[in-house]
Amino acid sequence: MAAKYDLTHLIAPQLDRHLVFPLLEFLQERGFYPEEDLLKAKIELLNHTNMVDYAMDIHKSLYRSEDVPQEMMERRTEVVGRLKALEEGAAPLITFLQNPNAVQELRADKQYNLQILNDRYQIGPEQIEALYQYAKFQFECGNYSGAADYLYQYRALCTNAERSLSALWGKLAAEILMQNWDTALDELNRLKEIIDSKNFSSPLNQVQNRIWLMHWSLFIFFNHDSGRTHIIDLFNQDKYLNAIQTNAPHLLRYLATAFIVNKRRRPQFKDFIKIIQQEQYSYEDPITEFLSCVYVNYDFDGAQKKMSECEEALLNDPFLGKRVEEENFSSVPLRDEFLENARLFIFETYCRIHQRIDMNVLAEKLNLNYEEAERWVVNLIRTSKLEAKIDTESGTILMEPDHTNVYEQLIDHTKALSGRTYKLVSQLMDHAQPQSAR
Amino acid sequence: MASRFWTQGGDSDTEEEESDYDEEVENVPAEPTAATAASRYYSGNASDSDDSEGQKRVVRRVKDKRFDEMSATVDQVKNAMKINDWVSLQESFEKINKQLGKVMRVTESDRAPNLYIKALVMLEDFLNQALANKEAKKKMSSSNAKALNSMKQKLKKNNKLYEELINQCREKPELFEEKVEEEQEPDDDDEDEDEDDDFDEDPANPESEDSEDEEETGEESGPGWEKMLSKKDKMMDKQFKDPSQITWDTVNKKFKEIVAARGRKGTGRVELVEQLTFLTRVAKTPAQKLEILFSVVSAQFDVNTSLSGHMPINVWKQCVQNLLTILDILTQYPNIVVDDMVEPDENETQKGTDFSGTIRIWGNLVAFLERVDVEFFKSLQVTDPHTREYVERLRDEPLFSVLAQNVQEYLERVGDYKGASKVALKRVELIYYKPQEVYDAMRKLAEQDNGGREVESGEETKAVEESKGPPAFVVTSALVPRKPTFPENSRVLMDILVSLIYKYGDERTKARAMLCDIYHHAILDEFTISRDLLLMSHLQDSIQHMDISTQILFNRAMAQLGLCSFRVGLVTESHSCLSELYSAGRVKELLAQGVSQSRYHEKTPEQERLERRRQMPYHMHINLELLEAVHLICAMLLEVPNMAANAHDAKRKVISKNFRRLLEVSERQTFTGPPENVRDHIMAATRALKQGDFEKSFDVIKSLDSWRLIRNKDNVLQMLKAKIKEEALRTYLFTYSSSYDSLSLDHLSKLFDLSDAQTHSIVSKMMINEELHASWDQPTCCIVFHDVEHTRLQALAFHLTEKLTVLAETNERAIDARIGGGGLEGLPLRRKDGQDYAAAAASGGGGGNRWQDFSFSQGRQGSSGGRTGGYNNLGGGRTLGHPGGGFMRDRNARSGNYQSSGRAYQAGSAARGDTSTRMVNLNRGVRA
Repeated sequence: MAAKYDLTHLIAPQLDRHLVFPLLEFLQERGFYPEEDLLKAKIELLNHTNMVDYAMDIHKSLYRSEDVPQEMMERRTEVVGRLKALEEGAAPLITFLQNPNAVQELRADKQYNLQILNDRYQIGPEQIEALYQYAKFQFECGNYSGAADYLYQYRALCTNAERSLSALWGKLAAEILMQNWDTALDELNRLKEIIDSKNFSSPLNQVQNRIWLMHWSLFIFFNHDSGRTHIIDLFNQDKYLNAIQTNAPHLLRYLATAFIVNKRRRPQFKDFIKIIQQEQYSYEDPITEFLSCVYVNYDFDGAQKKMSECEEALLNDPFLGKRVEEENFSSVPLRDEFLENARLFIFETYCRIHQRIDMNVLAEKLNLNYEEAERWVVNLIRTSKLEAKIDTESGTILMEPDHTNVYEQLIDHTKALSGRTYKLVSQLMDHAQPQSAR
Repeated sequence: MASRFWTQGGDSDTEEEESDYDEEVENVPAEPTAATAASRYYSGNASDSDDSEGQKRVVRRVKDKRFDEMSATVDQVKNAMKINDWVSLQESFEKINKQLGKVMRVTESDRAPNLYIKALVMLEDFLNQALANKEAKKKMSSSNAKALNSMKQKLKKNNKLYEELINQCREKPELFEEKVEEEQEPDDDDEDEDEDDDFDEDPANPESEDSEDEEETGEESGPGWEKMLSKKDKMMDKQFKDPSQITWDTVNKKFKEIVAARGRKGTGRVELVEQLTFLTRVAKTPAQKLEILFSVVSAQFDVNTSLSGHMPINVWKQCVQNLLTILDILTQYPNIVVDDMVEPDENETQKGTDFSGTIRIWGNLVAFLERVDVEFFKSLQVTDPHTREYVERLRDEPLFSVLAQNVQEYLERVGDYKGASKVALKRVELIYYKPQEVYDAMRKLAEQDNGGREVESGEETKAVEESKGPPAFVVTSALVPRKPTFPENSRVLMDILVSLIYKYGDERTKARAMLCDIYHHAILDEFTISRDLLLMSHLQDSIQHMDISTQILFNRAMAQLGLCSFRVGLVTESHSCLSELYSAGRVKELLAQGVSQSRYHEKTPEQERLERRRQMPYHMHINLELLEAVHLICAMLLEVPNMAANAHDAKRKVISKNFRRLLEVSERQTFTGPPENVRDHIMAATRALKQGDFEKSFDVIKSLDSWRLIRNKDNVLQMLKAKIKEEALRTYLFTYSSSYDSLSLDHLSKLFDLSDAQTHSIVSKMMINEELHASWDQPTCCIVFHDVEHTRLQALAFHLTEKLTVLAETNERAIDARIGGGGLEGLPLRRKDGQDYAAAAASGGGGGNRWQDFSFSQGRQGSSGGRTGGYNNLGGGRTLGHPGGGFMRDRNARSGNYQSSGRAYQAGSAARGDTSTRMVNLNRGVRA
C-alpha cells in the first residue's frame, strides 16, 4: 500500500550503484518491502562493486549462516590483488602528491605541470591514467574519501575532456556519499556548467546527463540548507524542465514539493502549474494532484483528501522524508513545513472566490480546531496577508472585495502611453540628428 | 492469355496508336515473315500457334489497312512522278517512310516490305533520270528544284539502309512481284506446318534451310542476329534449343542486343519483356540471370509510358514476382552484390556459381521497389472505388508488403541501412492509416488468401513454363518467404519500422515516418504521444520547406490529431488542430481527397493534373463529414460562451471566424427548416445552446450520421454531453449574471443536470479567471454577484484607451520601419486576440510568415514581462526560445504551437512564394 508512492524503481536506474545504498537503507528502515528482498537486492548491487566484505556481511545476515559462497571469497582475493596492482601503478604519482614540497612546484598551468612531472619525476600519462584507475577502484571499494582526493588531483592533471568529466562525476558521487553537502554542491555546479556548455557531444547525450545530474542532486538539495531554493533554480530552467518532461516526469514530485515549501519562488509557480497540467497523463502523484486540485479544478474537498495522501508519500520518500532526531523525539521537518504551506495555499485560493466563510467549515478544511483556526486567521489579518474581518457573532469571516476602481484601471491603461510617446519622439530625434549632421 | 490482352487494350484506349500497337505486338508476330516469304533470310517458321483464329482475323485487318495505306501512297508517288512534281514527291516519300514504321511494327519484321522496296527502286530510277536530264532540271521551278535536291540526298541516305534488298530487287524483280499473291497463302500454310512440326521448313521458301543453318553455326553474322530480334519465343527456342550449344557468350550477346533495342522505334515494349523473360530461363550463371532479370523489371516499368496512367495489373504482378526471384537469387548467392554506383565489368556475370568472390551487378532494388509502390498507388487512384476491381486490387497489398519486407531484410543483411530505411518507409506508408481492426483484417487476408493465391499462381507459372520450352538453367527455389508476416499489433510493427528509419533514414524519410507515426498514434487515441512527437520533431516549422506530398501528409496527420483530441475530450486542442484546415475552405485539396473547385481562382490544366496525381486512394480517406462535424462542434463549444461573454462587442474576440460566418448566414434565414447536412445540425445545436437548452442541443448533434464512424461512440457522446452541459452553464452565467443578485448552487446544478462539485468547480474557475464578477457565499451556498458591470460611459472610456494603445503601437511600428529596419518582423504586436490571426491567415503566405513570429514573441513576452525591452532583444529572444538541438521540446510554445502550423496549409504554389519572402526578411534582419 505504502509502496504505491515509492519512486525507488524509477530513480535507481539513474543513479550510481553506490548511491542506491542510501535509498535501500531507507526502504529497509520504513519496512514496507520484505527485508529479505531488500538484502538480496543489496547483494545484487554489491556483486558489481568491489565492496566484497560488505557483501559477505549482508550474505551472512540474509541466510543467517557463517558460510560464504566460494565465488565471493574468490572475488575478494581478486579484488585485493587488483588493488595492489593498481596501487603500484599509481605509486609514483601518489608519492609525489603526498610530498607537499613537490606539490608546491605545480602551477595553474596544466601543460607546465605535465612537463615538470615528466621531466623531473618521470611521471608520464601512463601514471596519470593509473591514478584515475586507482581512484575509481578505491571508489568501488567504498573508500570514498580516498577516491575523492585522488580524483581531485587527477582532474588537475588530466587533459582528456571525457575522462575529466567522468572524474567529476566520481568526485560528486564520493562527496555525496561522504555527505559533504557544500563541496558536493560546488561539484554539482561545476558539472552543470560542463553539461550546459555547447560543445557537448549529442543532444540526446546531453539530456541523459542532465537527468543524471538532477537525480544525483536530490541527495544534495534535500540535505543542504539552501537546497530548496537551489532545486527550483536548477529544475525550473527550461532545459532541465524539458528533460524532466521528456524522460523523468517523476522528478516533478520533488520540484512540486520544493515549490510548495519555498515561498520565495512564487512568480514561476503559475507556469509550473501549467506544466503539471500538461504532464498529468504521464505522471501523477499525490503532490502534483494536490496542486491541480487547488489551482486547476478548485476542488477543495479533493485537496483536503490529497493532503493526507501527500503526508504519507512524503514520509515514505527517501529524500523528502528525512528524519531529524532531537533527543528522543524524531520529526520530519519537511512534512510539517509542507503541510503548513499547503494549508495556506488552500486557504488563499478559497478566500479569493468567497465572500463569506463559516469559521467551522474553514477550521475543518484546514485540519484545525475552531480556536486554532481563528488564531491562524487573525494572524494572517494582522500581518496584512489577508484583507478580511471576522464576524464573531455569526462565526464567519467576511472578505473585503478587492475590485480595483474603474478610474484606477483607466489610469493604469493610459499611464504607459505618454512614456512611450516620449520614447518615440526621442528615438525620432536621435535618428534625425545624425542625418541632419550628415 | 486472351483476357490479359483485353485488359490491356481497355487500359490504354485513349492512345489509339499505342493500343493498336500493343495488341499487334502480342498477336501477330507471324504474318510479316510470311509476307516476306521469298526472302532468303526467311527463317521458315514464325507463326505463333498460340494465336486463336478470332484474334487473327482482327489482326489481319489492321495489317491490311496498313498495307493498303502504303500502296495508296505508292500510287501517289507514281502520279507525282508522272507530272514530275518533286514537291509532292518529297511529301509522299516522307509519308511512306512514316507508314513503313507502322507496317514494320504491324508485321513484326525488321525487313522492309517488298512494296516499299519496289517503291524505292522506282524512285531511285526516276531520280537518276531526272538528274541526268539537265535541261529539264533547269526548267523546273525553284521550289521544285529545291525539292529535287533534297530528295536526292534523302533517298541516298535512306537507300543505303536497304541497299541489299534493293540490289536483290533489281536482280530478281520477280521475287518481289510474287508477294502480293503469296501473302495470304503461306500464312495458312505456316499455320498447318507449325502444328505438325515447328522446325519443318516452309515449302514456300526452299532457301530457308540454308539460312537456318547459317544462323545456328555462324552466329556472328550480323543479319542473322538482327533477324532474331523480330521473332518470338519459339524462334528463340529454336535457337537455344540445344542446351549444350548455349554458352554464356550467346546469351550475353543476345541480351545486349535486346537491351540495345529498348526504346528504339519499332521495338515492342511488351515483346521486349517477353524476350527478356525467355532469356532469364536460358541464362547460364546466376549473375547473368540476375542481370537479365533486372532488365526485365525495368522493361516492365517501361510498358506504360504515360505519367498519369498506371502499369497494367498483370504486368505489375509479374514484376513483383520477378523482383522476388531476384531476391531468391541474391539470397542463394550471397556473393552477388547489387550496386548502382559502379559500372560493372563487362564479363562480371560470366563468373559461375562456383566463383566465390563478389560479383557486382548493376541494379537498384530500392528504386525498383519504390516504383512498384508508385504503380500500385496509381492504379488505386485510377480505379473506381465502388467497384469490385478496386477491392481486388486492394487484395494485392500483401503481395507488395511481402516484397517490401523481403527487400528490407535483404538490405539489412547486406548492411545497406539507408536503403532499408527507405523501404521501411514504404511499409510504414502501407499500414500507418489502418486502425487495428483493418490491420487485423489485412493480416488475416494475407494469411489465408495469399496461401491460396500462391498455389494458384505457382501452378500457373509452372504451366507456362512447361509449355515454353526447356527448363531454366539456373533454377532458383523460392528461398524468400512469399507470405508477409505481420505482428499481432500494428503498433509493434510501426515501432520496429519507425525506429529503424529514425536511426538511418535521411531527412525526408524521417519526416515522413514521423508524420505517419503521429497519424498512427492519433488513430489509436494516443493523443499525448502523438502531440509530443509533433512538437518534439519541430515539423511545424520545417514542413513548408518540404515537398507537397509531405505537406499533404502533414495536413492529414493534423486532421487525424484533431479527431483524436476530440475523442479524448480536448476541445480546445482539437479546434486548434482543425481550424487552420477549414480556414481557407479548401479542405479537400489540403487533404488530397478530391479536387475542389474554387470560384475565384481558375486552375490551369497543368495544375489540375498535378493535383489529380496527388490524390489519395479512396480507402485512405478521412471522412470529411465527420471531420467537419468535429470541427464545428469544437468551434461551437468554444464560441458560444465566448460570444455570450462579449455580448456588447461581439467583434472583439473571435475564436473561429469560419463558425461565426456560418452562424451569421443561418441567422439571416427567415425560416429555418429541419437540419439536413452537418452544418445545419450544428447551427441548430448552437441556437439551442445559446438559449441554454443543453438537452436539445445535444439531441440535435447526436442525430448526426457520422457518429457511427467513431470508435467507442458512446463514450465520446457522453463526453460531448458533459462538455455541452458545462458550456451551457457558462453561457447561462455570462448571459444572465447581470440580472441576478445571487444564485444558489443547488438551483444551478439542477438546471444543468450537473453535480454540485462540478458546478462549484466550473463557477470557481470562472471567478478566478475574472470572467465572472462574483464570489461564493459559503454558509448559504450561493453565488453573490458583484456589481462591477461598467456603465456605458466607462465601457466607452475603456475602448478609447484601447484604441490609444493601438495607435501608439502603430506609431512605434511606423517609426521602427523607418529607423529600425529588421525590427519589423520581431515586433511584438500586442496580439489583438483573434483578429490578428484572421488577418494573417487572410493575407496568405506572407501573412503566415509574419504570424509565426507572433507566436514566438508572444511566448517570450509572457515570461519577460516587458515589451519595452527593445526590439533587438526580441530578435535574440526568438533564437533562444528555439533550441538548436532538434531533440529538445519547446514546451513553452506548446500551447500556441498548433496555430503556427498555419503556413504549412498553404500547400502548392503559395508555399513557394512564402519561402522567398522569408529569405528576404532574414537578410534584411542580418544587415540591420
